[in-house]
Amino acid sequence: MKKLLVMILTIVMVTSLFVGCGSKTEEPTAAKPAKTEAAKEEATKGETEKTEAKEEMAGLPFEGVELTIMMDQNTVAEGVEAVAAIAKEQLGLDVSMDRSVGGSEGDNLTKTRLASGDMTDLFVYNSGSLLGALNPSEYLLDISGEPFMAKIADSFKGTVAIDGAEYGIPLNTIMAGGIMYNKAVYRDLGLEVPTTWDEFLANCEVIKASGTSAVIGTYGDAWTSQVTFLGDNYNVLAENPNFATEFEAGTAKFATSPAGVKSFQKLIDIEPFLNLDYAVATFDEGVDMLATGEGAHWPMLSFVMANVSDLYPEAVEDIGVFGIPGDNPDDQGLTIWMPNALYVNKDSENIDAVKAFFELYLSTEGLDAYTAAVPPTGAYVVEGYALPGDTMSIVKDDMQAYIDSGKTAPALEYMTAVKGPNCPAITQEVGSGQTTALEAAAAYDADCLKQAIQLGLDW
Amino acid sequence: MNKYRKRTLLYDVIGVIVALALFAVPFVFMLFNSLKNRKEANLLKMSIPTEPVWGNYYEIIQANDFQIITAFKNSLSIMVLSVIILVITASMAGYILQRYQGKAKDTFSMIFLLGLMLPPAILPTIWVLQSLHIYKSLFSIVMIEVALQLPFTIMLYRGYMNTIPRELEAAGYIDGCTKWKVFTKIVFPLLKPVTATIVILNAVTIFNDFMNPLYFFPGKDNVTVQLTLYNYMGRFSSSHNLLFANAIVITVPMLILFLIFNKRIVEGMASGSVKG
Amino acid sequence: MKASKIYSMWFIVPAATIFSVFFLVPVLISLFFSMTIWNFDSFRFVGFDNFVLFFSERSLAISMKNTVIYAFLSSGLKVVLAFFIAIFLTSRIKSKNFIRSLVFFPNLVSTIAIGMVFKSLLHPTKGFVNTVLGTVGIEGISWLGNPDLALYSVILTDVWKGVSIATVIYIAGIVSIDQTFYEAAAIDGANEWSKLKNITIPLVRPAMNTVILLSLIGGLRSFDLIWAMTGGGPGFASDVLASTIYKQYAAGFYGLSTAGNVIMLVLIGVIAFPLRKLLLQKEMD
Repeated sequence: MKKLLVMILTIVMVTSLFVGCGSKTEEPTAAKPAKTEAAKEEATKGETEKTEAKEEMAGLPFEGVELTIMMDQNTVAEGVEAVAAIAKEQLGLDVSMDRSVGGSEGDNLTKTRLASGDMTDLFVYNSGSLLGALNPSEYLLDISGEPFMAKIADSFKGTVAIDGAEYGIPLNTIMAGGIMYNKAVYRDLGLEVPTTWDEFLANCEVIKASGTSAVIGTYGDAWTSQVTFLGDNYNVLAENPNFATEFEAGTAKFATSPAGVKSFQKLIDIEPFLNLDYAVATFDEGVDMLATGEGAHWPMLSFVMANVSDLYPEAVEDIGVFGIPGDNPDDQGLTIWMPNALYVNKDSENIDAVKAFFELYLSTEGLDAYTAAVPPTGAYVVEGYALPGDTMSIVKDDMQAYIDSGKTAPALEYMTAVKGPNCPAITQEVGSGQTTALEAAAAYDADCLKQAIQLGLDW
Repeated sequence: MNKYRKRTLLYDVIGVIVALALFAVPFVFMLFNSLKNRKEANLLKMSIPTEPVWGNYYEIIQANDFQIITAFKNSLSIMVLSVIILVITASMAGYILQRYQGKAKDTFSMIFLLGLMLPPAILPTIWVLQSLHIYKSLFSIVMIEVALQLPFTIMLYRGYMNTIPRELEAAGYIDGCTKWKVFTKIVFPLLKPVTATIVILNAVTIFNDFMNPLYFFPGKDNVTVQLTLYNYMGRFSSSHNLLFANAIVITVPMLILFLIFNKRIVEGMASGSVKG
Repeated sequence: MKASKIYSMWFIVPAATIFSVFFLVPVLISLFFSMTIWNFDSFRFVGFDNFVLFFSERSLAISMKNTVIYAFLSSGLKVVLAFFIAIFLTSRIKSKNFIRSLVFFPNLVSTIAIGMVFKSLLHPTKGFVNTVLGTVGIEGISWLGNPDLALYSVILTDVWKGVSIATVIYIAGIVSIDQTFYEAAAIDGANEWSKLKNITIPLVRPAMNTVILLSLIGGLRSFDLIWAMTGGGPGFASDVLASTIYKQYAAGFYGLSTAGNVIMLVLIGVIAFPLRKLLLQKEMD
């Protein structure tokens, strides 16, 4: 009897599967965030009057059109949402976010979805070397001729271009990769911003003696261990300005260039100054330590200021940054990271709407909305756009100083397509004292070799 | 006799204490921390929350437009369908593989054994699904889960078939039953105990599966419960309190299932021992 | 009685079809691609290059060693511990139902959640485990941060979670042992220990073999827990084959990753098939 029941149930279930399989009746619901930003509220309030007037004037050009953007959980969405709100009012566009898993699972998902033809209209992804892995000529729309592309700085455009075609617009601001430091700690101990690596280590000694963690290590999140190495690119290029091109061609290697090995050595140098639980400490904990002064230095990217301003707004002005010092006190520079980009799915059905959205995104109005929602942690790569006056000092003063004096260099991943995917593990390994600098450099070279072969480069 | 009773009681007590310490403590940890506010939870202390934040549970339920409800719907559907199909197909296969002799049987045996050892190949599987035009359908993920669990389930059925005397089937045949009837009316009912075990083991495995739905069942509408955990495990910020609250919520169905089936499993095992 | 009159090979067809289409065929396809440099829709045949590369990479030698350690250690612990727990849970203890449920509990929670919880519990300064150890004077062990300890910490967590299934299988085996054996032995004057040695252990062999084989193969393939707790780190210290394969896959080296899959298959085959033969023979005795 029970068997019969089970069989009937099965048949019913199976048939309902085939019936249910074809239909996808759910429309993507426009995801409104649970948190309400005061800035956004003000933006929308100001717009309502304008909208009513506009709606009376003419039908909105993209009324009823829906765009979806695939964006991983880790990306700050408030800025895009602010622009989306304007898009709704001015263009009638419904822009919704498809939030996916982050990290390497998210990367896989992006690649899988592109390969299986299942991608949203737009998606967020890295610029620079990682773009190559997506096979852009096959899946992404070439937007190089579009009018809004002219507004974007060449330095960024180079990072979303392959073989002459350009594929993306910048999602937000640039960021610096250097040593974030707590100015209050420096004041209390009477320290000065170091101009050479040895000076930096000397500062660390003083700080350590005073009982504070001299350098914050958060290798529990492996990617953070890369910054010390990657942020040293300015110094690598200072030694050999052609390093990037030679590296791309396969002739320059980290293991054979002294500055390259030094970059890995720096990870070993800071090890004695790290907090006790550096091997498992997380990014979150790093933010806490930096903001409260429990840790004095943190090799990190400047976007962390978004977290600080969110959790410790009163500490924002106490945080500064300086480029990872080299050996030449007269040539200290900052390594810069380009923002992620918004890319277009070639097979999207709403290309015109996308282009209009991009136009809006890069307009002053769009940028203002973005800035109001997300305080900038670096300069925009849109030419002619000035940062608002209340931007935090680390951006306005510290970073801007380097930009103004021309002492910046892009991170290597924006100058060459080859970035070893195992980099975080390798830096984590050398940073926790398991290998020597030379071994780490050699390991990284081997890793890059694999990727070069995969990309079809002839090394 | 008294000394024996005392000793058993002692073992009882020790057993419970050790079991609780080892197995309950992590869950107590989860429970406590799921009720703290974000900062306190991130301290990861085994302490009672200073002020229980019951709102955490509400927050995870309504996150992303009540995403977790869709997730439950999906995960439960996948689980139920997969388990039903597994029980039917694997019992049939295990039955024959244990009884039948011959080359064909050995080949199939070997093939299924392969399945125990090999992990699935992600991209080729997607290609297969696409060429069959069933990619991203509930049907396809169910089929994949079934395929992946078949070897183990068949093995369990085979093993249990050892305890069922062949004479029963012979008797059934003599009485005029068809091959199918022999199986459904005689053999399958006897497999109830191991079926209970199989149901719960597979239900848990499939419900808790994260990787496979991620690749083979992507899309906003196809979210599964394990995926919701990743909402709180961000690269740049973690909310341990919400993470644990979410983990507890998605464990509840498994708990219920276990409570229902637990008795059955024990009964099944006990009845298995009273065999002539 | 001709067997074919009662039994029909057709019974296997449904299972075999599902299995072939959704598992076997993709795996066979992947065998081909393991010998290519693969880029979604184009590929370049390179013969055994991927395999050579796989062996020459330093982090790979570590992962193969770790995989074997992980598998044998976790399996061994499970086989032994679960056996004794099962004995305990099938004796005349009153609270056995309660403890059975408790022991099975870890199995109900997903590996990811378990990984996160234990990661928190094993934190070197804030973790509960170290707090408890601190009270007896053992200070600040970095379970997951110390490269020499990381793998073993994950193994212990794996055993914690996995001992429950092993126990269930053992219980099923023990409970199906005919009581008359024990009664006969009692009449002969045997004590608890010799009953265990001469009746239980031999007759529970099939269950034990199942546990050994399953936990060993599972251990060789293990991924979820390691990934959730250490991500293969620090550095590559706790990488196993499965996590290395995943990393190659995540890096976009599809052909290479598939090659790793093939290596895993060979490794498991080389260990599992002979072991199975050995165990079955012992069962026969």
